[in-house]
Amino acid sequence: MIGNDVVDILQSRQESNWQRRGFLEKLFTEEEQLFIKQETNPEILVWLFWSMKEAAYKIYNRQTKRREYIPKKLICRIVLNENDYIEGEVTCGGNIYYTKTAILNDGIHTIAVSSYCDLNNVIEVEKRGIFKDQYGIPYLSDLSKISNNVSISNHGRFEKVVKLI
Amino acid sequence: MNKEELIAKLKVIIKPYTANSEAYDNLTENTDFIKDLEINSANLVDIVLDIEENFDVVIDNTDMERMLDVKTAVEIIETKLAAK
Repeated sequence: MIGNDVVDILQSRQESNWQRRGFLEKLFTEEEQLFIKQETNPEILVWLFWSMKEAAYKIYNRQTKRREYIPKKLICRIVLNENDYIEGEVTCGGNIYYTKTAILNDGIHTIAVSSYCDLNNVIEVEKRGIFKDQYGIPYLSDLSKISNNVSISNHGRFEKVVKLI
Repeated sequence: MNKEELIAKLKVIIKPYTANSEAYDNLTENTDFIKDLEINSANLVDIVLDIEENFDVVIDNTDMERMLDVKTAVEIIETKLAAK
């Protein structure tokens, strides 16, 4: 399964004030907050963790069909920090999701998968031939429902549609 | 505070985060914050924080998890106000 989330940092600066009282405490675990506070560029880390949670939640929502606002239950860990991408893990209850985040020009795009081996099997596609089921979960209409699900994320200047190859 | 007053106060809180003004104008108890009002999920926390400040209540994580529509938000605020 697959999920993704894109954050336009310029848009976020208009929409959110991550420095307001209670914001970090309500969205991030103690450990994540500690990382954010120690970081020289905390803003990037706030939206990196947020996009990891959102991308992983999209799979969680697919698996459970449950709608919940549970950012603190989606626990992020950064595994590998390379120049052009960041690999991480998000755990939620007994589930684990693997993430890969690209740092864009004033933006962040995270993809999440439920099997680690799929992490490098994700491609970006055009938004075409997509329909949604009764839960609002998108699928590619020309292919079988289960094996070829897609994930869509829009924010500000960015729109990202990804699927497993 | 009766339910109508409470919803009116809540409506003022959610306005700045709402992307769909038509859904906002036709807001009912069944209105969903994300599906109908198209509120960015990163802003749901702002609504929770604004509710805490404006109603002088504390919303814990368990309550926040369910706060996805007007009806649930009203229910949670009513319970918190009654417990004061």
